[in-house]
Amino acid sequence: MDGVHDLGGKEGFGPIDRAHEDDPYHTEADARAYALCVSMRAERAYPVDWFRHTRENMDPVDYLTRPYFDQWLQTAIAMAIDAGDLSMVEVATGKPDSLARTPAPMSPADVQAMLTTPASFEREVSEAPAFAPGARVRTASHGHPGHTRLPAYARGAAGEIVAHRGAHLMPDDGARGIDRPEHLYTVAFARGDLFPEAAGSPDRIHLDLWESYLAAI
Amino acid sequence: MDPSFDSEKVAEIHRHLHSHLPPEPALRVKALESLLVEKGLVDPAALDAWIEAYTEEIGPKRGAAVVARAWVDSDFRARLLADASAAVAEMGFAGQASGHLKAVENTDTVHNLVVCTLCSCYPFAILGMAPPWYKANEYRARAVRDPRGVLAEFGVTLLPETRIDVWDSTAELRYMVLPQRPAGTDGMDETALAALVTRNAMIGTDDLRGIA
Repeated sequence: MDGVHDLGGKEGFGPIDRAHEDDPYHTEADARAYALCVSMRAERAYPVDWFRHTRENMDPVDYLTRPYFDQWLQTAIAMAIDAGDLSMVEVATGKPDSLARTPAPMSPADVQAMLTTPASFEREVSEAPAFAPGARVRTASHGHPGHTRLPAYARGAAGEIVAHRGAHLMPDDGARGIDRPEHLYTVAFARGDLFPEAAGSPDRIHLDLWESYLAAI
Repeated sequence: MDPSFDSEKVAEIHRHLHSHLPPEPALRVKALESLLVEKGLVDPAALDAWIEAYTEEIGPKRGAAVVARAWVDSDFRARLLADASAAVAEMGFAGQASGHLKAVENTDTVHNLVVCTLCSCYPFAILGMAPPWYKANEYRARAVRDPRGVLAEFGVTLLPETRIDVWDSTAELRYMVLPQRPAGTDGMDETALAALVTRNAMIGTDDLRGIA
């Protein structure tokens, strides 16, 4: 999806504002919005990339201007409405239509479990990886409608495989409700190959990219 | 119902939400919290548990303890660089987004910098909540294109020949920077060393070499 979320390398952005950098939450509303969003996630199992893609589909002006966790919360609400767990009328009036809930909402014990149990996105696949460390690859030249994790600034670019990371769930498919693992690689690009003004720079940009984003050179 | 996985449908829902919700962020959050609690979609005790966890228990002190241990214990350092998920689990810090953790090491010739240009992926379990600037449009846009300019704004100036390795964490791998140990800290113990490690140094926007 060619959305405003795909910010890497976009020009025209000014200095970085470091205000509140040591506060875990920017404001009280930020803390509440964060907690509401993550507490609603237990309501229904869904792929994290559907959450990311739903956020990407927010109005572009809202995406660029609204507080961060306020965006997360609106995303969680949009997902709940999409899945039929909540209605637009309920949001508009602030009054629930019905109170019958199954399953029960996330409990503090569920929160503790989530805080101490890392998720794994790695899966077994029968195919051998197509690329080995050191191989030269070129990324796909175009994106596609829907979710993807190949940023626009790194499309059609030549890079080098640094590491094979096993097979991980493929996000483009995950955001369509399909669980499909694919080999994942860390790929290094010369900064000068991505941005013309950086020609000759020693710097490298690394991305973790799925096999179908890549072709051998 | 299951999610629709329909981009157009959720885009339309967002537009309706924009017009139905109060325009002021704090009021919007308040209105939604009261609806979600009343409807039974969230338990207020769970909300408090999330907020407290990242206020009290989980934060950059964890990452600082990991870095300090790597500085004093070369076997631990090797384990951290080989499998950071297992190394932080060893210290009791396994948690959110630590399942595919990579530690990248600064050296005399390489400085590492971490960003997520597509959203704001971050290793919560060891660094806590990301600072606002990490999630801001400016950092996400500029870190890959102008890392030297970004670092200069944070007071980090590198030699022109020092290579910057930027890690744009676009998949489920999460990155932490292992900074170089400050000069003149030979006599310091692990606890004293951990107190020198800043959150920004573990993202790559601070340089600890000259601080001690």
